[in-house]
Amino acid sequence: MDEYAIGVLTNIGLFSFVALSAWLLLVAGELSFGQQAFFGVGAYAAGIGTAMLGWPLPLAALAAMALGAAAAALVGLPTLRLRGLYFTMATLAAAEMLRILFELFHWQIALGDERIGPDGTQGFRGIRWMLERGIEPLDFLAMVWILLIGVMVIFLRVENSRLGATLRALGHDPELARSAGIDVDRLKLGVVAAGGALAALGGALFAHHNTYIEPRNFDIMLGVHSLAYGLIGGLGTAFGPLLGVVLDIGVLEATRSLQGYRMIVFGGLVAVLLVFRPRGLLDERVVHWIRSRA
Amino acid sequence: MRFLLLICVFLTTSAAAQRVDANLDCKYTGKDFIYDCVIRLSRGGEPLSGAQLSVGADMPSMPMAHSIKPVKARSGKKPGEYAARLDLEMPGEWTVKLRLAGPVRDLLIVHYNFTESGTAPRK
Amino acid sequence: MIDFLQNTLDGLALGSSYALLALGFTLIFGVLRRANLAYGPAIMLGCYCATWAYLKTGIGLLFLALIAVAGSTLAGVYVERLCFAPHRKGAAAAAMVASFALWMQFEELATLALPRHLYAFPALYAGGPLSLGRLTLRVESLVMLVAAILVCAALWRILYRSRFGTAVRAVIDSPAAAELSGISVSAVSLQVFALASAIGGLAGFLIVSGNEQVTPMLGMWSTLKGMLAMMLGGLGSLPGAIAGGVALGLREAHSQWYLGPQLRDFIAYLLLFVLLAVRPPWMNTRSAY
Repeated sequence: MDEYAIGVLTNIGLFSFVALSAWLLLVAGELSFGQQAFFGVGAYAAGIGTAMLGWPLPLAALAAMALGAAAAALVGLPTLRLRGLYFTMATLAAAEMLRILFELFHWQIALGDERIGPDGTQGFRGIRWMLERGIEPLDFLAMVWILLIGVMVIFLRVENSRLGATLRALGHDPELARSAGIDVDRLKLGVVAAGGALAALGGALFAHHNTYIEPRNFDIMLGVHSLAYGLIGGLGTAFGPLLGVVLDIGVLEATRSLQGYRMIVFGGLVAVLLVFRPRGLLDERVVHWIRSRA
Repeated sequence: MRFLLLICVFLTTSAAAQRVDANLDCKYTGKDFIYDCVIRLSRGGEPLSGAQLSVGADMPSMPMAHSIKPVKARSGKKPGEYAARLDLEMPGEWTVKLRLAGPVRDLLIVHYNFTESGTAPRK
Repeated sequence: MIDFLQNTLDGLALGSSYALLALGFTLIFGVLRRANLAYGPAIMLGCYCATWAYLKTGIGLLFLALIAVAGSTLAGVYVERLCFAPHRKGAAAAAMVASFALWMQFEELATLALPRHLYAFPALYAGGPLSLGRLTLRVESLVMLVAAILVCAALWRILYRSRFGTAVRAVIDSPAAAELSGISVSAVSLQVFALASAIGGLAGFLIVSGNEQVTPMLGMWSTLKGMLAMMLGGLGSLPGAIAGGVALGLREAHSQWYLGPQLRDFIAYLLLFVLLAVRPPWMNTRSAY
């Protein structure tokens, strides 16, 4: 594979983590505009872990996930009872607050003859753990996809379990779910924290893929795109967000000849698609149909 | 097996090597956002020649989607110089990624503001 | 003290532009119970049409204003037909994401027509600021303030003194009941969208001619500020939108002066977050969409 193909496949993998985390909340009935912030928390935390504290990447990634989950829970707690646009706006507000905190975050230490660490809007460079160990882009790609497959296996198992059914009940009608004896608040908090951890894992990998991060990487565009991927791909299965990412990044890369027009074509296609399939390509009915055939 | 080896590599610590420095100087060709760039590489103040260099670029917002296809750089006129032509989507701030292969392996990140005359380092 | 007064004056000027943006946003939200993410980008597209016309022909400000308003209105109608008309019942997420897809479309259209990051726009008023004792007030701000008041008064008349207004208010109260009494909800939605986008276009024109420049960022900026002001004002109420816009402007001008731009934005989001979490009585948080 050439460098370009490896890069595109890696980006699809990395994007899938945020898209899956946005999709998880979407299934639970909420639109989050804030998953990019937890992606950012993961990126900063893991970068600090390997580049500044000298931790190995697996440890740093675990710490990033824990921090991502904690940050998401912290945002989730006061907003548990908010519905619809109110929840969406609260997540956006929290995410923008975190992004501004990244802009104000300065913490650098001297390593050798240079200073390493987050430097506000100047970003955080030198997250060189992969390079220092001579890990090739192809190996990194394999790692990203192995982790993603692991996450997918968990998602698909949960989907067929009691928990999955409870989750969909919550997404369908929280009041009904509450009256059916489901502890809605606890479930929602769990979903929010899991989404935060997942996005943070993606961020941790992104920071090491790029070796450089800056606050603007984690702006609202990333969050809204992730949400859109989940909805375009479909709410019926965890393959939905992946399909969304592949469609967007794949189409963008395949239509380089259309450069300059591709968002016009793609944006229009998405709007038209949602007219006919408001719950995405792989919605519950399609998934049910496929299952009944299989 | 390869994967097991990789896991072993993941758990080791690193050895620091002398770092490569890079700078970029681009001229706008006048055609929609195509820039002719000269890249100068050096290590410890000495020009670094003979590297296999590929040049890519990302935008600060959504770097995973707004990226350009990396291009291979040719060797330039002077030692340590390389030439590449970048076809950007639009002018403005870009994060340029220089990936070195061959005898020296590295990934260098430089920031430039691409204008309608050429490049200026980002503040 | 003089700083405080000057900041308050600047904040009022800024706030009247936010109030105008929030009025359009609130009209749409009130009728459809949907957030239109493409609201700001439609305004941006209208302003880009005006900029393009100015660069090609150099026509006067009045024509530019007309083009900006017409362009925004057309873009708004397009958004309504493609993103909101098909999702009238349920599917709030689909409507929102579809409007985001069109946002991407508008942004690319704009950068395709005018690819530079920034374009100069003719100034609304060439002279210097007015001075009131030791205070200064830009004429552009005064125009914005007057425009906000006029638009508000006109909206009031339309909503409370016309047949169309009665229909709009009936739809806001209950779309089902309105439909039963012979009002076409679809037609009302389209008209409200056109009206809201026209107000947005006017706001956009005043903002870019006041700043004497236009960038594609205007799209995201307008959506965010309009949404923030609408939220602060309690969602779906027109007087609330104006109060929210002015409050946002005042707060920004003061915190900019004392704390700088990063903390200014931080406080804006913190305030919104706390307001949402605490839910004061004027924020009706039950029927969000």
